[in-house]
Amino acid sequence: MTAKLAVSVLSKRFDALEALRAINLSVAPGEFIALVGPSGCGKTTFLRIVAGLEPATSGEVRIDGKPVTKAGGDRGFVFQNDNLLPWRTVLANAMIGPEVAGRADAATRRRTLELLKLVGLEGFEHYHPRQLSGGMRQRVNLARALAIDPDILLMDEPFSALDAQTREIMQTELLRIWEQGRKTVLFVTHQIDEAVFLSDRVLVFARRPGRLQESVDVALPRPRTLTIKRTPDFVRYVDHIWRLIEDDVRASVIEEHA
Amino acid sequence: MTATMREPERAAPPRTAGRDFLASLRQNHLAGLLSIAVGLALWEVLSRFVVANPLFLAAPSQIVGAVLSLGESGELWRHIGISGLEFVIGYVIAAVLGIALGLAMASSTVAKQVCQPWISGLYATPTIALAPLFILWFGIGIWSKVLVVIFLVLFPVTINTEAGLRTTSPRLIEMLRSFGATPSQIFLKVSLPSATPFILAGLKLGIGRGLIAVVVAELFGSRAGLGRLISQSADAFNMPELFAGVVVLAVAGIAMTAGFGWVERRLVPWTRD
Repeated sequence: MTAKLAVSVLSKRFDALEALRAINLSVAPGEFIALVGPSGCGKTTFLRIVAGLEPATSGEVRIDGKPVTKAGGDRGFVFQNDNLLPWRTVLANAMIGPEVAGRADAATRRRTLELLKLVGLEGFEHYHPRQLSGGMRQRVNLARALAIDPDILLMDEPFSALDAQTREIMQTELLRIWEQGRKTVLFVTHQIDEAVFLSDRVLVFARRPGRLQESVDVALPRPRTLTIKRTPDFVRYVDHIWRLIEDDVRASVIEEHA
Repeated sequence: MTATMREPERAAPPRTAGRDFLASLRQNHLAGLLSIAVGLALWEVLSRFVVANPLFLAAPSQIVGAVLSLGESGELWRHIGISGLEFVIGYVIAAVLGIALGLAMASSTVAKQVCQPWISGLYATPTIALAPLFILWFGIGIWSKVLVVIFLVLFPVTINTEAGLRTTSPRLIEMLRSFGATPSQIFLKVSLPSATPFILAGLKLGIGRGLIAVVVAELFGSRAGLGRLISQSADAFNMPELFAGVVVLAVAGIAMTAGFGWVERRLVPWTRD
């Protein structure tokens, strides 16, 4: 099977800071990948380069074999902050991608309404962002990325601002939605249990310089429910990954509070 | 007690708190109306029995009488017509020019560097002092006043437009960029809507400044207008007519600002709490 996404010796420097060093990665179509690591390991920078929001210093990103350098309709980005336009309704916010691409027709509108139903926002289509809770706003954020029907979904810590219960609900919702479309997903998170619960494979990043430390295959059965978080297998994965990044996390925490 | 009880409700979603909010609004209005009524009554008493000199102060009842008689003779409408025309022409030109200048300054560093010192300098200068000069140049007709209005209204509009566009959230711009948006799409779909509250605030500021411009410019020399009515009445020690001019201006200012508030609520509802 050919790779959906192929990254070869990708590096990124911000002046003196080496943010990413020689990342190599191959992602199969429909694979759910999670990226974890201590803060400052470059995982978000990596996601932004794949999205085309940030240029790489060297190396290459290929989608279906074709190199990409700019943002495009084959990738949908789900932001950490919902970044909804406050003057638009939920539906109009979700339609912004097709609108930018010049495809905001009646068929797209119907499809977007279906998507809003899928993410659990039926009946809220004409609400404004300020009328929604944080969890609902992140559902719009997800629907907006899905509305352009991307091959790859890039998610940058989308649930980090939510409270613990809402976050768990959103994780199961995301899996439910993913099971229906089986899009390729790159999901950045700093929560190891979230990474293990969602993904087929966890990429563990290390810092200084940001690099890929280890790739952990998660062989847990699907579909998954929240109860799987209490199984010994699950805990073993979390424990293993935590050991990999523990020293790095401690170092970054000390640095941030110094 | 009721006031402290209402505070948290105002922060709740509008649908559930709507009725309480309306009730508190009615209460606020009641106090305001009462305050106005008491103030007018005090004024009436002060003017009739304490000052008791029609050369210095007119009572509210006399002012109302003056407004009515000036209205009946048609003189008031002539003054309002001239002042209104000066205000509208100047305000519209200043608004269009101000928004255009603000757009240019936000989108080009060169334009900003060229315009910034002039705009900062002229905004801080009491340009109303230029009114006599404009009258010398352009005569005592309406155009000298139009120019003064433009000078006073232009700068707050320009400054606010530029600031509004410049402070557009980089996150929202990035969101649109992730969908491959072009610079003009980013401008139309993000920068302009997010700058709209700022632009409206600049235009709102311009109402008061524009009215000041009209009246002061007319005081320096004019054939008609509310400023002319005021200076004419002052010369003749006709206090009721002088106050009539002031009252008409106050009503115009309040009405236009209130109308603007209504436009703001329709155009930029997301800036409400």
